[in-house]
Amino acid sequence: MSRHHITLTVNGDPYELDIDPRRTLLDVLRDELELRGTHLGCDSGDCGACTVLLDGEPVPSCLVLAVDADGRAVVTVEGLLKDGEPHPVQKAIVAHGGIQCGYCTPGIVVSSVALLKRNPQPTEEQVREAIAGNLCRCTGYQKIVEAVMAVGK
Amino acid sequence: MPTEQLDIVGTSSIRVDARDKVMGKAIYIDDIQVPGMLHGKVLRSRYPHARIVRIDTSRAEKLPGVLGVVTGADVPFIHGESLLDEPFLARDKVRYTGEGVAVVAAVDVATAEHALELIRVEYKELPAVFDPVEATEPGAPLIHENVGTYTRAASNIKPIPGTNICNHFQLKTGDVEKGFAESDYIFEDTFTTPMQAHCCIETHGAIALVDDETNITVWANNDSPHRARKEIASAFKVPMTKVRVIIAPYVGGNFGGKGGLKAEAVALAIAWKVRNRPIKIMYTREEEFCSTIGRHPSVVRMKTGVKQDGTFVARAVKIYLATGAYAEKGPTVSTFAGISGAGPYRIPNLSIDSYCVYTNRQLAGAFRGYGGPQTAWAYESQMDIIAHKLGLDPVELRLRQVYVDGDRHANGQILKSEGLRDCLVQVAESMEWNSKPLGKNQGRGVALMERAIKTPFGSAAFVKVNEDGTVDVLSSTTEVGQGSATIVCQIVAEELGVPMASVRKAAPDTAFTPYDASTTSSRSTFHMGNAVKMAAADAKQQLLALASKLLKASPDDLTITQGKVHVKAMPERALPISKVLSENYGASGTVLGRGYYYPEMPEGESNYFSRYMVFWLLGAQGAEVEVNRETGEVKILKIYAAHDAGKAINPMTCLDQIRGGVTLGAGFALSENLMFKGGTVLNPSFLSYPVPSALDAPEIEPMAVEYAHPDGPYGAKGIGETTNVPTPPAIANAIYNAVGIRIKDLPITPDKVLAALKRKDER
Repeated sequence: MSRHHITLTVNGDPYELDIDPRRTLLDVLRDELELRGTHLGCDSGDCGACTVLLDGEPVPSCLVLAVDADGRAVVTVEGLLKDGEPHPVQKAIVAHGGIQCGYCTPGIVVSSVALLKRNPQPTEEQVREAIAGNLCRCTGYQKIVEAVMAVGK
Repeated sequence: MPTEQLDIVGTSSIRVDARDKVMGKAIYIDDIQVPGMLHGKVLRSRYPHARIVRIDTSRAEKLPGVLGVVTGADVPFIHGESLLDEPFLARDKVRYTGEGVAVVAAVDVATAEHALELIRVEYKELPAVFDPVEATEPGAPLIHENVGTYTRAASNIKPIPGTNICNHFQLKTGDVEKGFAESDYIFEDTFTTPMQAHCCIETHGAIALVDDETNITVWANNDSPHRARKEIASAFKVPMTKVRVIIAPYVGGNFGGKGGLKAEAVALAIAWKVRNRPIKIMYTREEEFCSTIGRHPSVVRMKTGVKQDGTFVARAVKIYLATGAYAEKGPTVSTFAGISGAGPYRIPNLSIDSYCVYTNRQLAGAFRGYGGPQTAWAYESQMDIIAHKLGLDPVELRLRQVYVDGDRHANGQILKSEGLRDCLVQVAESMEWNSKPLGKNQGRGVALMERAIKTPFGSAAFVKVNEDGTVDVLSSTTEVGQGSATIVCQIVAEELGVPMASVRKAAPDTAFTPYDASTTSSRSTFHMGNAVKMAAADAKQQLLALASKLLKASPDDLTITQGKVHVKAMPERALPISKVLSENYGASGTVLGRGYYYPEMPEGESNYFSRYMVFWLLGAQGAEVEVNRETGEVKILKIYAAHDAGKAINPMTCLDQIRGGVTLGAGFALSENLMFKGGTVLNPSFLSYPVPSALDAPEIEPMAVEYAHPDGPYGAKGIGETTNVPTPPAIANAIYNAVGIRIKDLPITPDKVLAALKRKDER
C-alpha cells in the first residue's frame, strides 16, 4: 500500500506524517501521535466518543480520512488544557459530577467547548442539541448539561 | 445503629477518577500496548444452528503478515460460570449467528481482516429455535444434546436433561390452588420484554499472552478479575498461579456486560496456538450487538388471586428467559428472576417457576437488573390492572401490600432493614400523587421493585500505609463507572483518619490485589466496603500500637485525625503517621492492614447463589407522561426515583446511579429492542438501535433513601444496579392513567400505542 505524506497541526503543534491512505484521523491521532484521550466507540460516526475539533468544528474523527485532514488544524481533548490547567468546561463537568465511566467524556467536552465558542450562553435545549451526537450510557446527561450551562453563565 | 461522627463518609467527595477522565488521561484497554503485540480478528458464524463440516484456513495462513489461525479443533476446552457448556470457538457445530469459528493473528488489524476473507467454512444447516416458550416444547430442536451431563457450579443449577432448559428454578409457599379457590378475583396476564443491548460506549477488548510454559496473562476490561482467572484456570486445566488477569485502570461501562469471558475467550484461543506473543482483540460495535450478551428476552405469565378488598391471596408466576446459545449467567439470572418474581409484597400462597431456555440466538446474561426488569414489568403492570379493577388507588394498594421489617419473604427469610415503603412514600410525596393537577392526555403511575443480591460471596482487601503516611488500597473491585474507587477511598480515609487525597486505590491485578468475587450485583459498596473498612481498622490498630510508646499513651487513648496520630483528648499531642513509622522502623516503615468480608449464613443454605439474601435491592419510581393521540408518541414529563442506599457513602454518586439507571430504563420502556430475523440481528448499530441521547433523556428527580442496614459499612448497601428496574412499569402505568390503554409488551412504541388507542375507541 502506497503511503501519503500529510501535514497536520494538532493542538498547536505541526506534524509531518507518511500514512496509509486507509487510516482515519482517529487512527492517526491515537496510534501515530499517541493522543489516546480520543476514543473509538462505534467506527461509524454515531456515538461521538471520537469527537475532535477540525478547523474549529466538532467532527467524529472516525469518519474523517487522515488524508482529508491534510493541511488542517486539529484540537483534541488534550489540547484544551491551558498551562496544564483544565478548560472551564472540564472543571465544571468534574464539579457537577457529570462523569461515570468516562469513555464518552472527552467527546462531550470537545462538543461542549465548540458550542460555547459559537454560543457563549446556550439554553438547556441548545446544550442538549450540541451533545446529542455524543452518546453516554451512564449518566443520563443531566449533570453534564448543568455543567455546560454553568460555564455559559 | 450508634451514631458516629463522620467526616468523609456521607459527603459528596469529588470522584477520584474525574480529573483523569475529563482530561483524556484515563487509560482504557485499547490504550494498552504490550511489546511484540499482534492483533486478532474473529471469523463468525452466519448460521444460527449448523454443523461445521470442514474449515480450510490454508490460504489465510499463507497471507504475509499472518502469524497464525486457530479454530475450535485446536482449543478443546470448555468454559462457563454456572454451567460448563461454552467452547472458546465453535466445535462441531455453531449455535448462533455471530458465534466465533476461527481467529486470525496478524501484524495489524487490516491484515487480520483480510485473512478472514480467505478462510472457507462449509456448514450443514440444522433446524433452529428462537422463541423461549417454543424451545421448551416437546419436539423442539435440541441446542445442547448433553445439557444433563454438563458440569454445574453447584447443585442448585438444575438443567432438565433432554430439553433446552438449562435451569429450572422453583419456589413454593402455602397452597396456591387453595388460595385461588378462596379468591374473589383472578387476574391472568402475559407480559413480554425484548432483548436490550448493553451499549457500553467502550467495546469489549482483551490482550492474551500464553508462553511455552503455559503461563497465561490476560489484560482485559473484565468486571471481575478473580472470577475470570478461575474460569480460565479451570478451562485450561492449569493451576491458578499460572493465570494472571490484569484489568485496565478504567473500564468504559459495564452494566453486567463485561463479566465472563468474551473478547478474553477468543484472544485466549489464538494465544493458545500462537505462543509467546501478546495478541489484542478489540470488538467492533457490530460484534458488541451480535456476539457478546444482551438482556434476556422474556415471557412472564402472572396469575393472581385477590379478595374484594384488595388483599392478595395467591400468585402463580411462570417466567421464561431466552438465554441464547450458551448458558453464560442465565441460570443465575433465572434464579434471581424467580426469587423476586412475585414482587415485594405479602402474598401467603405462591408458586414460582423460572425457566432459563437455550435458543439459537446471541447470548443473554447479566445486565443491570439481572432478571428484575422482566419480572417487575409483569408484577408492577398487573398491580395497576388489579387496582383499577377493584377501584383502588395504585399507591394505596401498594402501601397495604408491600412488605416491611418482620415480614417473611417468599424465600422464607424474615426481612429486616427494608426501606421500600419509605421509597414509595417519598416518591408519592414528591410527585404530589394526590393533589397535583395534570393536563389532557397526561397521566401518572408508580412502580416498585425488589431484587436479590448475589449471596454468599466474599471480598478481600489490603490497606498499605506507606512511609510518607499515604495509603494504597489493594482491592479487586473494578472501576466501571459506578464510582467504587471513590467509595473505597472514602471508607478507608474515614476509618483510618487520613485525608481523601492521601488514599489511592490500585487497579485490579490478580497477581497483587486480593480475592473479590465480582464487581456485580450492586455488591461492592456492601461487601468490598466492609472489607476495606476492616483492613483500614486493622492498619489503624497497628499504627496506634506503634505510636503508643512515642506518645506515652495507651493505644485505646489514641486515634488518628487528618493523618496524625494523637491522644484523643489532646489533639496537640500528635505525630504524623510518617513520623510514627520512621521512629519505629527507620527508613523502611510500612503497615499492612487486611480485611475479608464473607456474610454470615443461616445453616443449610447453598453457598452458591443462595435463596437467603444478605440484603435486598429496593426502589420505587413515579412517572408523569403525556401521550400524543395523533402520533402515538409518549413523552416522559418527569421520573421520580427513590432507591434505598442504606447509607449514601457518597450522595452525589448515588444520585448519579439513579439518573443513569432511569435513563437506561426509559430506553427499555419506549424504544430499545434488539430485533432479529431468525437468528440474525437486524439493527446492530447505534443508528438503528436507539440509545437515549441528551435530547431523549427524561427529567429525573433522584432520591437516596437511607434505611440503615445493620451489617453494611456505616449502614450502607448497594443501590446502582436496579435503578432502571421500576421505570418501564411506572411509565406504562402512567400511560394507562393518561389514556386508558394497557401495553403488555415492551417497548412501548408509537405503533403499539396507536393500535391500542384504536382498539379502545372501537370498544
